[in-house]
Amino acid sequence: MLTDPALLLQVLWTGTVTASSYVLLTVGFSLTQKVTGLWNFAQAGFMGIAFYAMYFALNHLGLPLLLAFPFACACTIIAALVTEAWGLNVLRARHSSHLTFFIFTLIVAEFIIYWLTLLFGTEPQTLFKSIMSPVHIVWEIAITDWDLVAIGMTAVFVAALAGFLRWTKDGQFLVAVADNAKLAELYGISARRAYYVTAVIAALFITGAMYLVGTRGGITPNKPLELILNAVIATLLGGMGRVFMGALASVVLALIQSYSVLIMSSRWQNLLLYGFLFVAIVIFPRGIHFPKWRKRPVVPAAVPPGG
Amino acid sequence: MEYFLTIIVMIAIFIILAASYNLVIGYGGLATVAHPIFYALGAYTSALLAIHQGWHPIICVLAGVLVAGVASILLALSALRVSGDYLLISSLGFQLGLLQVIRNFEFTGGAGGLSGIPSTIIGAARTPMFLVICGGLAILTVMFIAWIVRGPYGRAITAMRDEELAFSTLGRNAMSMKVAIFALGCGIAGMAGGLYAYYFQYVSPDQFDILQTVAILTMVVVGGMGTTIGPVIGAVILIAVPQAITFLNLPPNVMAPLQGIIFTTLVLVVMFLRPTGLVGGRSLTSSH
Repeated sequence: MLTDPALLLQVLWTGTVTASSYVLLTVGFSLTQKVTGLWNFAQAGFMGIAFYAMYFALNHLGLPLLLAFPFACACTIIAALVTEAWGLNVLRARHSSHLTFFIFTLIVAEFIIYWLTLLFGTEPQTLFKSIMSPVHIVWEIAITDWDLVAIGMTAVFVAALAGFLRWTKDGQFLVAVADNAKLAELYGISARRAYYVTAVIAALFITGAMYLVGTRGGITPNKPLELILNAVIATLLGGMGRVFMGALASVVLALIQSYSVLIMSSRWQNLLLYGFLFVAIVIFPRGIHFPKWRKRPVVPAAVPPGG
Repeated sequence: MEYFLTIIVMIAIFIILAASYNLVIGYGGLATVAHPIFYALGAYTSALLAIHQGWHPIICVLAGVLVAGVASILLALSALRVSGDYLLISSLGFQLGLLQVIRNFEFTGGAGGLSGIPSTIIGAARTPMFLVICGGLAILTVMFIAWIVRGPYGRAITAMRDEELAFSTLGRNAMSMKVAIFALGCGIAGMAGGLYAYYFQYVSPDQFDILQTVAILTMVVVGGMGTTIGPVIGAVILIAVPQAITFLNLPPNVMAPLQGIIFTTLVLVVMFLRPTGLVGGRSLTSSH
């Protein structure tokens, strides 16, 4: 079974597709970590808001997806901005310790999760009544329409962010603030504005990810706490401040988890993840860095004697 | 009446937990969040020994203390190499990973938990007796920690926490002190776990998850980190106040999240209005 190429390819495809939502969550989490320097666990709460706002709009208000998605984006952005303005900014002004930020973001996540539990219960919910998707067989690999949407959506989001960071003024300001917030402010760049922009981008990525997660399986209010740990591990493995390497790490983690099913019971998959988290911090606290490939210096041709 | 006494037993157990955690994080300055897993190890060890070996409860609880202490040393030797956010997150990984192991093994009862822990005290006197035992141990724990931190060793702990470099240049071994504080705090958490297992006669992995981490952490923070009485006040308030709505006779699916909302709101209010905690302990908001 382990040598069946069709099976191995299928697992490769499924793992890659599964990674799509992880990639979006990791990019949102890692970008926030890069710009603000915070491990923002409140994003677990925002994930809940994104999913349940979309669920409410689709199933209770009867809105089409084209309206439900922007509605969820708006709700998530508002939650992220409120947390930023009335929570994190206050703690920054007080020069709070990392522990305070940790407690605050975790408590905000829990506060939101308790509200969602009160409003929507603990039964798993999906965005649509059916999560079935048409299947196509391509070179013996089963590919669903959902897979294509997931891959396409992730590629568009990641490419848009790369373009934003590279070619827009606000994007370059984010990079400047991430490098040195105080120095950036000396050059007239508002660090606070950069934090707000980051919160908005992270909220968009979270909403995108929760659309993918919620159209593939059931979500309970507690589920985002599991999802955010994946983003934490990928951020650590990718190296802090390296957003796109974090995204790559989340793909690698998803593939390892998918392939692990071939040799171990699926119930141990999460343990594999926590093992990675622990090992990543203890052995690679700054992420995995590959040696940089450098061009060999051009040696000038030897000058012939007497020439 | 039984309900009230049970709440007081819970408060006593959480005072032990919060006080021991305060020793690690408040006095020792070791920002780990894995305390509930040592509570779990104490609970599971005591429960398993009581069920399968039928040993005396004191021996079972002491075994829980030992297992929690040894596990904490293993974590400390690897994870205390890093600090700050890294330590927070590596300890979280350790906790969740070990919980996953507990959740997947059959001998620990799996995700369903471990029931059938023998009752050591039977009859009407059971809860009052547990109240005396847990209350007495809570008082002893708080006094013991106060005694440690007020003595010469306590001054060394404070010095190590505040100026580790200067502490090391004086020829003191900061790492061994960190490991000792960590093992002591976690061993006490193991004792709280043993008491919990014997009183409730049931343990499950869900009782020791990330929400428990937040609960114990906030008891210390809300009460006042690095103070003797702060964690006691934090434990009393954060266990007692959410129980106030119990008398509204709300359905369980409303009651549980509502208690959670009260709990988290209380923490957020205290964090912003009293950043040093209700007692006014070590400045939590200071980055130094």
